[in-house]
Amino acid sequence: MQQFVNITLNGLSQGAIYAAFALALVLIWRATRIINFAQGAMAMFTTYLALTLIESGQSYWVGFAAALVAGLVLGALVERIVMRPVEGGPELNAVIVTLGLFVAFQALAAILFGATFQSFPAPFGLRGFTVGEFTIAFTPFSVFVIGSVLVVMLALTALFRFTDLGLRMRASAFSQEVSRLLGVRVGRMLTLGWAFAAVVGSLAGLLIAGGNLVHPAYMDAVIVYGFVAAVLGGLESPGGAVAGGLITGLALSYVSGYLGSELVTLAALGILVAVLLVRPRGLFSRVAERRV
Amino acid sequence: MRRPGHRGLAIGALATIAALLISSCGAGGRPEDGEGGGASDVGVTAESVKVGAHFPLTGVAAPGYSEIPTGTKAYFDYVNANGGVHGRTIDYVYRDDAYNPTNTSQVVNELVLQDEIFAMVGGLGTPTHSAVLDFLNGEGVPDLFVSSGSLLWNQPGKNPQTFGWQPDYEVEGKIIGQYVKQHMPDAKVGLFLQDDDFGDDGEKGARAYIGDQIVAAERYAPGNTDVAPQIAALQAAGADVVIGFNVPSYTALSQLTAMRLNYRPQWIYSNVGSDPALVGSLLSRFSEGKVTDAAMLDGAITTEYLPGVDAPENPWTRLWQKVWDAHGGRGELTNYRIYGMSQAYTFVQALQAAGPEPTREGIVRALEEIGGELRGPAFVPYRYSADSHAGLAGVKVVRIEGDATEDLSQVLVTGNGDTEITEYTEQHAGPPQNGIPNVQPAS
Repeated sequence: MQQFVNITLNGLSQGAIYAAFALALVLIWRATRIINFAQGAMAMFTTYLALTLIESGQSYWVGFAAALVAGLVLGALVERIVMRPVEGGPELNAVIVTLGLFVAFQALAAILFGATFQSFPAPFGLRGFTVGEFTIAFTPFSVFVIGSVLVVMLALTALFRFTDLGLRMRASAFSQEVSRLLGVRVGRMLTLGWAFAAVVGSLAGLLIAGGNLVHPAYMDAVIVYGFVAAVLGGLESPGGAVAGGLITGLALSYVSGYLGSELVTLAALGILVAVLLVRPRGLFSRVAERRV
Repeated sequence: MRRPGHRGLAIGALATIAALLISSCGAGGRPEDGEGGGASDVGVTAESVKVGAHFPLTGVAAPGYSEIPTGTKAYFDYVNANGGVHGRTIDYVYRDDAYNPTNTSQVVNELVLQDEIFAMVGGLGTPTHSAVLDFLNGEGVPDLFVSSGSLLWNQPGKNPQTFGWQPDYEVEGKIIGQYVKQHMPDAKVGLFLQDDDFGDDGEKGARAYIGDQIVAAERYAPGNTDVAPQIAALQAAGADVVIGFNVPSYTALSQLTAMRLNYRPQWIYSNVGSDPALVGSLLSRFSEGKVTDAAMLDGAITTEYLPGVDAPENPWTRLWQKVWDAHGGRGELTNYRIYGMSQAYTFVQALQAAGPEPTREGIVRALEEIGGELRGPAFVPYRYSADSHAGLAGVKVVRIEGDATEDLSQVLVTGNGDTEITEYTEQHAGPPQNGIPNVQPAS
């Protein structure tokens, strides 16, 4: 029983992390209609910036804030400088460029920060809460992770559903030409979409790193599982991404605990294929109301 | 609306190529060409002998292991500065395989076909080196002192060129198993195993002694850093002793996860996963999470077969310190660097034994003839003979106390299968005065 509880709780906290990453993918998908494979590498990069600050004696929260700001700037710069020339063309071009960025960021991080494992501090305790005589696999830091993910989810839902800005971002993503005719400054919207997505990505990077080991490729697994989570949720809705993240986290934790750790990646692939076969638009997508 | 066409594609391609260029800059040594007289075999000239190796310099296995070749190189430089072996300097080339067997095949191809090395010395890793075993033996390249304790390296019939070096995991598992049986006969034992030959061989050795005490055997897939389900299963099985056959980063991960679950068994880690300095440095930043650095491994049990940095007065450690101070690069002397230097020392012994005109065939034959008599930095002898290419014969069991260790057992030796465990009583001699072995050419 204790094992089941612990595996479940572990799945939930891992799932929250996948959800955070899936949220970043959803954001950039809704704002620019492309999948950004460099998302994880960009997050890794800003996390290393935070680590450098923390190492130099700053507090965790200074590093935390700096990483988020760096994410904002990095996202905007990448969009303006690298993505702008390929935007509006075939989507595949943009996606391939993000793949190139992914490799470049990882290599750059290895050169700048070293390729070895380093530990990343956590702002809260890493000991599990005690319930009765049991210690459960749920730490103060897990609470922070889940709380942050929920806040981001609500913020994104609000952004896209209730604000003028969200509407303009969505419009620019769907039809640049029409939006421009209607007076939307499309270029600015795209930059903003990338910048916001990179902030959420940076947050995901920090949450994954906290109380764990980081190295330039530490986001690789999360990219894969976060992508599964986003597809599971339908790539459209922030709520779907969070639900998809939690489902992915739980499923993989059960597989690892009861079937064997070597089957985890296979299980992730299985989930992905099953979802794409049965509900290609995701478990939580609304009906195909706006096929473009 | 802009038409992206060629421009977009070109930029995409440019980014990708730039990325590849940047990433390829991480590779290890640089090939050098040297031609001259007195060449007795591939990679041997009148002035030098070229040897190579593959190591994880980046990625999941890099912590610790990436330091090994720096130690090897420092010792070779020391020997070169003191006249080399039979007048030849040792030219050492090592390349990064990132602990990925696909990369290993590629870099070993380069080492053998492009750099034309005389021999491999200390290529690291079970999954990685398995990928090049057939190639090296097929090409007739002496494949000396694989940095891994797998049993695969001891198959002289099938792989006549390959020699193990460190105590194999079965031997280590047997000695740990016997220790647990003698000192903790009532303990419920859990195993935390890397899901490959490393874990399997260790489990085989341990089960030979404590098969009835083992209540759970959990395996982790290298690369998957979430080990909470495995640790939770060990805890649920009620294991109060956990024996880990895992790499150092997973020692850190298992400790972190156990802390999360408030799970406090007696930890026993195999030698390869237990370096207190390295694990301590991996865990050191969690002090804000109410953990104090190396103390996390305090009280854990492990094994030793080389004098390490925690014994600075040992004559061998003094030699390594001298070598590292004179020829080392950045950083301190560590146990991983000592491991590399000890392998380099063994290679120098083998090269001396191969005589003034070394050949690939000759060095293998020399090791088979006199390898069992070689004495060096290790507490125990090698098991080399015409029928055995197995490395060191045993270990001693120790407890980690801060950054040092305390002996829990005598030096014990054994072999594979049913061979009994016996005490090894020969006095451990110090290094020669000048720090360079003096082995006479074999026959």
